[in-house]
Parts: sequence; structure tokens; C-alpha cells
Amino acid sequence: MLLKHDSRDPALAQRLLLSLVALALAWPIGHIAGVNPAALVEPANLRVVGSFVAGFWPLAHDSFFLGLLGDAVVQTLAIATVGTLLALLIAIPLAVGSTAALSITAIGPAPRSLWRPAFRQALRALTLLLRGVPELVWALLFVRVFGLGPSAAVLALALTYGGMLAKVFSEILDSADRRPARAILTAGGSRFDALMYGLLPVAAAELLSYSVYRWECALRAAVVMGLVGAGGLGQLMDQSMKAFNGGEIASILSAFLLLVLFADMLSGVLRHWMASTRAGGLRAAGGWMLTLSAAFACVLAWRHIGLDLGALLGDRAGSDIARFLREFLPPAHDAALLTKIASGAIETLATSLVGTVLAALIAIALALPAAGRAGKIAKSLTRFLLNLLRAVPELVWATITVLAAGLGPFAGALALALHTGGVLGRLYAEALENAPPAAEASLHASGAPRALAFLYGALPEVAPQWLAYTLYRWEINIRMAAVMGFVGAGGLGQLLYYELSLFRLDNACSVIVAMLILALLVDQASAILRRKMG
Amino acid sequence: MDLRISDLRVDYGADQPGLAGIDLNIARGEQVAIIGPSGAGKTSLLRCLGTALKPSGGALAIDGAQPWQISRSALRTLRSRIGTVHQAPPLPPRQRVVTATLAGRLGQWPAWKSLLSLLAPQDIVGARAALERVDLQDKLFERCDQLSGGQLQRVGIARVLYQVPALILADEPVSALDPALADHTLAVLCEDARQRGATLIASLHAVELALARFPRIVGVRDGRVAFDKAASAVTEDDLKSLYASERVTPGEPSDTHVMTPRVTATGLPCC
Repeated sequence: MLLKHDSRDPALAQRLLLSLVALALAWPIGHIAGVNPAALVEPANLRVVGSFVAGFWPLAHDSFFLGLLGDAVVQTLAIATVGTLLALLIAIPLAVGSTAALSITAIGPAPRSLWRPAFRQALRALTLLLRGVPELVWALLFVRVFGLGPSAAVLALALTYGGMLAKVFSEILDSADRRPARAILTAGGSRFDALMYGLLPVAAAELLSYSVYRWECALRAAVVMGLVGAGGLGQLMDQSMKAFNGGEIASILSAFLLLVLFADMLSGVLRHWMASTRAGGLRAAGGWMLTLSAAFACVLAWRHIGLDLGALLGDRAGSDIARFLREFLPPAHDAALLTKIASGAIETLATSLVGTVLAALIAIALALPAAGRAGKIAKSLTRFLLNLLRAVPELVWATITVLAAGLGPFAGALALALHTGGVLGRLYAEALENAPPAAEASLHASGAPRALAFLYGALPEVAPQWLAYTLYRWEINIRMAAVMGFVGAGGLGQLLYYELSLFRLDNACSVIVAMLILALLVDQASAILRRKMG
Repeated sequence: MDLRISDLRVDYGADQPGLAGIDLNIARGEQVAIIGPSGAGKTSLLRCLGTALKPSGGALAIDGAQPWQISRSALRTLRSRIGTVHQAPPLPPRQRVVTATLAGRLGQWPAWKSLLSLLAPQDIVGARAALERVDLQDKLFERCDQLSGGQLQRVGIARVLYQVPALILADEPVSALDPALADHTLAVLCEDARQRGATLIASLHAVELALARFPRIVGVRDGRVAFDKAASAVTEDDLKSLYASERVTPGEPSDTHVMTPRVTATGLPCC
């Protein structure tokens, strides 16, 4: 009896089953995502991409275009700045209202209040809604309402980033040291006193640092939103794309990369400066200088955008928004639309899966040289390549992959794969460099070939981390896949774009709800998977 | 395998002791225990013999071949015939014991077999037999992070038993085991080497164990061979001067590196 089982692996059956299920799912998922590698080498597509890329050189540099480019860069900076400012205006009351750190009932005997916790929960739900809808979807909606231009981007940033900032702010406030605030509350101070004198001094540095980081993200988002007509570099890029002008695209991409690099550096310097504990007169003076110049930059940005909040909130606008909401709500739910939404959701899911798997493959291939396993030159070359892949947002990649693979979800999956491959490649390489090398070294020293020593010694050390990173990126990719359709790459986004261009707002509302539900479901699935693998 | 070592030197720099010229000849099938105080260079010596560490000077010939001058493929063949038991077994925590054991033959198996074995272990019977000799057959399909330190050390030994090497290098192979188990496990290693005519070199902290199990004892101190005798000829005085602490003298620099845990080239702390 025992002998019979002697040579049998108890895990084998499960592994076989899992592999079979994965194989059986791979085919329909690939089919839905329109995977078609042949399209990439099709002569017609190759010619299009070839002539497009060939047009990259020389970069467009006539003075007229450079003027446009300069304006677009300034506008993008202004959008990011004003958007972040408005987002702060939304986030601060939401965060202060929903943090438990200022709760009076939590510190001792006080009349029990039912509505205050309920109020906090309602604010949290509002926050979730604000950040659950991608800024690109807001931008697309607002372009319909306010027309082309930067206003739509600013408002979209304000809403989504308002939600994101509110969530992180309230987390920061919740985890800050509550004793100073409690001391003030127990001494009879008001909530406002407790906030200003107890909570903010503890948490201010972290709050500021995170805001600066968000500004940097907003800059990237501002470019991407331009692709749907919301001003800045993105809108210029969209125009050049439609005119198929490779030289202009190359110039815009270079400007974009420089801008991202600049923002990265500026935000790094600012946050480093804020984190430093050095005190003294010079630092205080520097602080005032920085505050003044930041305020000056904000005023300039505000004037540049020329956003007329008065008109936005005035009588006429009020009725405009009311009319808009009436058309928008309630969401439509006829059977034909629901079928379309279901197939769009499945397509989006398949796109995100294929994109993430391809990204993982790219990342593995690049992480090994990027971790220094093929010499120093290969290391710096692959690091550069990874940075390039990562710096270009998914949607910008999509405008290019659409040319290479044709309209449809496969182009979206490729775009996701390129950007995410860059992100994951760097994370994988870092995990590899930080893993204990003993297991692999000992196998190598007992005569195992390099590749096998890696598979038996290093891979098991880093696999859990790699998997966690991949699942985390999958959650992000499902949101990206949902908006990929705005540039013709299939899924729910394409449906939303279509419904909005026909001004069927109630249908659009249903699609947005579907996006929200899909994102929440994937978050849950990924959390369960991670717990199982953990 | 026979080993010829002359004036072998390893230089880590000023603040870390290495090897200061070791001369040693070990014949095929011999069983040698290396003893000596912490930081004497036992691990460095074993790592040189295992071709995991390139000596800074001197000559080393394993079966007549100089490992740092032969071709890549010849080096790999040579390495696949050398099995090393590590003090801290370098096993990935999430790997299963069966896979960790089978990894001993990666240098001998064809690539397809090693690849397949990652998914479905290719020699469960062989792995079980090797684990049986260190009393771990019931842990065959456990994950390494489910095992205690002592059990892990025995998995490391089972891997080397499964590798069937012509030269076994054991660096403190039983440091995590209780005395009875340590003696038993060491006996398994010695018996395995004796039966196959393999050479066995082990560094040991426990002097009694070394004297009881090994016919030849090499005392190492300050990177040099202090004595090299048959176990029966080792005297009380030999041991006393071998382990005489330099720390008694005040102001000795060795004091500092005894206090701070040193880190080997593999990144594992060693004491």
C-alpha cells in the first residue's frame, strides 16, 4: 500500500488541474482580447508603423510648432497645478470630516451621537465614488459639457484626485499621534482647535509631501487627458497623431519625457527638503521663499487656465448641471445595453489579463539583465529601456500600438504590456537584487548550469514578491483597460466613448457604473488570491 | 578525489582574517576533520576547496586539475563532483524538501529533466532514500519554511548524499543538532563517504566529535595549519594552544571581530 504511493507526488494532481484550467482559459481569453501576433508582422501594418517611426527624425522644430509646444507645456503644468489645488479644496474638508482622530465620543463620556458616525461613513462613500471613476472618464464627460480645452481636465483632476487625496489624508490623520489632539479636546477645546493645534502639527509634513507627489502624478494625468481633448500636451499630440506627423509626435514625446523628468526631480527635491530635520534661520527663510514661489506659481497657473468658477457655480450653470444630471440619471438598463456592457466588461477583463501576463513576460526578460546578471553595460541599457517603457503612459502607448496592431482590444493589451512591463521589470529587478544569493550560489558551486541554478535557487526566493507586484499591477490595469477604448482599443471605454458621442448620457452612466463594479470585483479577487498565495 | 594544497592564501583585507598560507595533501577516500577557533579560516579553506572562492595566492589541485585554470565546462563537471554541506543550509523557504534534495543533481541531469523536475519531481524514490538516511522521509513533501533549523541542516546533508559526490566538504554540518543526533548524522556522512571511497573534509566546532569520528585531524589557527596528525596522536596541549584565546591579552585587535558577527561572501552571517 505504502509502496504504491511511494513515488507519487501529492501535489501533482492539483498542479496538473491548475495547468489544465489555465490552458483551457487561455484560449477564450486570448480570443476575446483579440490576440493576434500575426497583425504585428503584417506587411500593411509594418509599413504604417515603419513610415510613422521613420517620420520621427528629424524632430519637428520650426518656430511655429515650437511655439505651440511651449504653450502646451505651460498649459499642462497649469492644469496639473490648478487641478491639484482644487483637489486639495475638495480633499481637506472630506478628510477632516471623515477622520476618526477628532472624534469626541471616542475619548470618553459624551452624549452618543448617531448621525456623526453616519456622516463620516457617507463622506467615505463619497470619497470612494470620486476616486473610483478614473479621471479620464470625468475628463471625457466634462469635454462634452464644457467643450474642448483645459477646464475639463482641471475639473476631472479636481474630482478624482480630490477623492484620492481625501482617502490618503484621512489615513494619515487616523494614523497620526492622537494624544495632542485629545489633550485639547479633553481640555474643552473645539474640534477646530484640536485640528489646528493638535493634529496638523503632527501630520503636516506627511500631508504636504503626499500632495507634492500627487502633483507629479497629476502632470502625467494632464497629458493623458489631453488625448480626449482636454487641453495641454495631450491634445497637441492627438492632433499630430491625426495628422500622422511623426516629427511632431517625436518632439511632443521628448518634451513630455523631459517634463516628467523635471517634475520627478522637483518633487524629489521638495520632499527631501521637507523630510530633512535641519532647523535654523536659513531653513525658515528657505521655507518662506518656497511657499511664496509656490503661491506665485499657483496664481500664475490659475490665471493661465482662466477657469471661471463664478460662471461654473452661477445661476445658469446651476441649471446646466441640473439638466446634465437629469439626462445622466437614472442609469439606463435596457437588455440590449446590458448585453453590450457585459461583453464590454468581459473584453476589458480579458484585455487586462493578457496585458498583465505579457507585461510579466517582458518584465522577467528585462529584469535579469537589469539586475546586473549580464554585465554592467547590459544593466544600464536595460535600466534605460525600462525607464522609457515606464515613463510613457499606457494611453500614449495605445495611440502607437493601435497603428501596429489595428483598432481593438489587442492594441490595448499591448499598450498595457509595454507600460506595465517597464514598471514590473524595475520592481522584479529590485527584488532580485535584494534576495539572499546563498541558495543560487551554492547550486552554482555544485555544478548546476547558470539557468538552472537561477530556477532552483533564486526564483523560489523572489517568486512570492514578483507575484504580489503582478497582482497589484493587475488591479491598476483593469482600470486602465476600461479607459483604453477612448483611443480605439476596445472594451468598456470604447462603449462609453460611443454612447457619449451620441449624447446618450443615461447609457454612459450605466457604463461608468459597470466600470466601478468591475474595478471593485477585481480588487476583491486580487485580495483573495494574495491571501491564498501569502 | 585527492587534493594538493600548497601555500594557499586568501586575503580579505586588513580587518578580516583570511588564509595565510595553507599546505595540505589529502588522499582519495581520506576523512579529515578541520578544527580551530572562530575566525581561524576553516570556512575560507572549505570554500576554496569547493571552488566557490578564488584564492589570492598559492596552488590548489583537485584530482590534478587546477580549478581556476581549466575550461568552463570542465569546471562545471568538477563542481558537480563536489558536494558541500553548509552551516546555514541555503534552501529557499518556499521550496519543497523533495525539490531541494533533487537539486543536488542539477549538475548531472540533462537540462530537460531538471526543468521537468520543477513541475513534477523526477526522482521521488531517490530523494526519499536520501532523506531516509537522515530520518526525514516523512518531510518529503513539506515546504522548507515548515522545518526547524536542525531539520533544514539535515535536508542540506540529504541533498549532498543524493548528489553522490566524490568529494564531500562539510562546514559545521551538525551545528544545529542535539549531541546524539549530531553524532548519528556525522556517522551517516562518514559511512557514506567510506562506502563509496569518497573524500570527506569537515570543519567542526565539537572537538570530541571530531576526535571520535575522524582518523585525521587538522588544527587551523590564524589562517595557518597549526597541527596535522592522526586523531590518536592529538594531545591535550595541542588543543590548548589551538584554542588559547588571544582575547586574554588586552588591546588585541581580534577582540573586535569576535564581537561583531562577520558576514560571509554569500551574505549569510557566520559565527
